[in-house]
Amino acid sequence: MQTQATMWQIARRPRWIGALILALAIAGGFAALGQWQLSRSFESGAAPVEQTESVVALDTVSTPQQPVAAMATGQLVTVDATFVVGDYVVLSDRYNNVNSAPGFWVVGHGIAADGASIAVALGWAATMTEATTAVDGLAQSAPDGTIIGRYLPSESPQESKFEAGKRSALAVSELVNLWAQVPNGVYGGYLVAGAPASGLDKIDSPKPISEVSLNLLNVFYAIEWVVFAGFAIFLWYRLVRDTWEAEGEALRDAELAAGTPPAPVE
Amino acid sequence: MPIGPRPEDVAKIRRTVSIYKVSSYITGTFLLLLVLMMVFRYGFGVDIELLGPYGLLALTPKDLIAGINLSTLILIAHGWFYVLYLGTDFVLWRLVRWSFSRFLLIALGGVIPFLSFYFERRVPKDALAAIAHLESTEKVEA
Repeated sequence: MQTQATMWQIARRPRWIGALILALAIAGGFAALGQWQLSRSFESGAAPVEQTESVVALDTVSTPQQPVAAMATGQLVTVDATFVVGDYVVLSDRYNNVNSAPGFWVVGHGIAADGASIAVALGWAATMTEATTAVDGLAQSAPDGTIIGRYLPSESPQESKFEAGKRSALAVSELVNLWAQVPNGVYGGYLVAGAPASGLDKIDSPKPISEVSLNLLNVFYAIEWVVFAGFAIFLWYRLVRDTWEAEGEALRDAELAAGTPPAPVE
Repeated sequence: MPIGPRPEDVAKIRRTVSIYKVSSYITGTFLLLLVLMMVFRYGFGVDIELLGPYGLLALTPKDLIAGINLSTLILIAHGWFYVLYLGTDFVLWRLVRWSFSRFLLIALGGVIPFLSFYFERRVPKDALAAIAHLESTEKVEA
C-alpha cells in the first residue's frame, strides 16, 4: 500500500521548489515597490541646506521682474551693487531675535551690475534715532561693492501706519513706489546683508529649515505592498498544503475502495 | 487537483457567494468610474471636482481644485474595494477548492472593465454547481 507523502516531501518536489522561487521573486518585486512607494512619501519642497549655504551670484538664482523660485529662497548670494543715496527706508517693528524688543531695519536701494534694483536690508537698530543716524552715515559713504547676503522673497505690504511714515513689512512692491529713482527692473526678493552697515547690528538670518512633508496615502500603500509580499509567500504554502490534502484524500478514497480500482479524482 | 468543496463548508460558501456578488458590483462600478477619471486626468489634464466654485461637479486642473477632488477619491475607493473583492475571491477559492488559475482569473475582474459584471453571474453559478455536484455524489454514497 502506498503511504502518503509528507508536506515537507511535497515542498521539495521540483515543481514546488520552482513555485517557491516564483513566489519569492513576486514578494521581492512587491517589497521593491513598497520601497519606492515609501521614498515617494517624503516630499521636500525646499532646497537642501548644503545648497543654500554655498554662495552663488544673485542673477544665477533669480531674474528681475520674475517671482522668487522656492529653490532660491534662503539662498546665500553675492551681488555687486551701488546704492542710491536718497532711497534708504527705515522699517519699524522688526524683531532681531526672540527676546529683543522690536527695533528698526535700514533698507537700501541697490542697483546691481545688470541695472536692476535690489532691496538690501543693511542692518538692525534698537531705536529710531540710531536708525536715522545710520541712514545719515550711509548717505555720506554708501556701502557700494560686493554684498553677500541671504536672498528672501518679498513680504506682503502690511497695514502699517504708513500715513505717519511708519512701515513694518519689507515689501518690494511698496519700496518701488517709495524710491525716488525709478528702478529699471527689480528683483522679486530682498537681500539680508551678511555684514551690517556701520552703526547697525547684524540682522539675524539663520539658514532655512527644509520642511519634509509626509504623504500618508503613500505610506499606506507601502504597507499594502508589504502585506501583498507576505501574501505571495502564504499562497505558496497554501498551495503546497492543498496538494498534500488532495493526495491524502485520494489515498483514503483508494483505501476505502480497496480491491476495486481507485476512482479518478476530480 | 481541484477536489471540490467539503460538505461542512456549504453554508459558508452560500454566504460568501452573496458577499462576492455585492463586492463584484461595487468593484465593477468603481472600475468604470476609474476609467472615466483616468481619461479625464491623463487625456485632458483635468480632475473631477465636487462642490467647488464651479458648481456641484466640475472638471478642473488638479492643482486648481478648491473643492473635493472626486478623481482621487475614486482612486482610493477603488483600491480598497478591490482589496475587499480580492478577499472574497480568496475565501471563495479556499472554500470551493478551485484551481489556483481560477483564483487569478477572478482577481482580474477588478482590473479589466466589465469583467466583474460577467463574473458576478458566472462565479456564483459555478460555486452553486460545485455544491450541487457534492450533494448528488453524497446521496449516491449514502
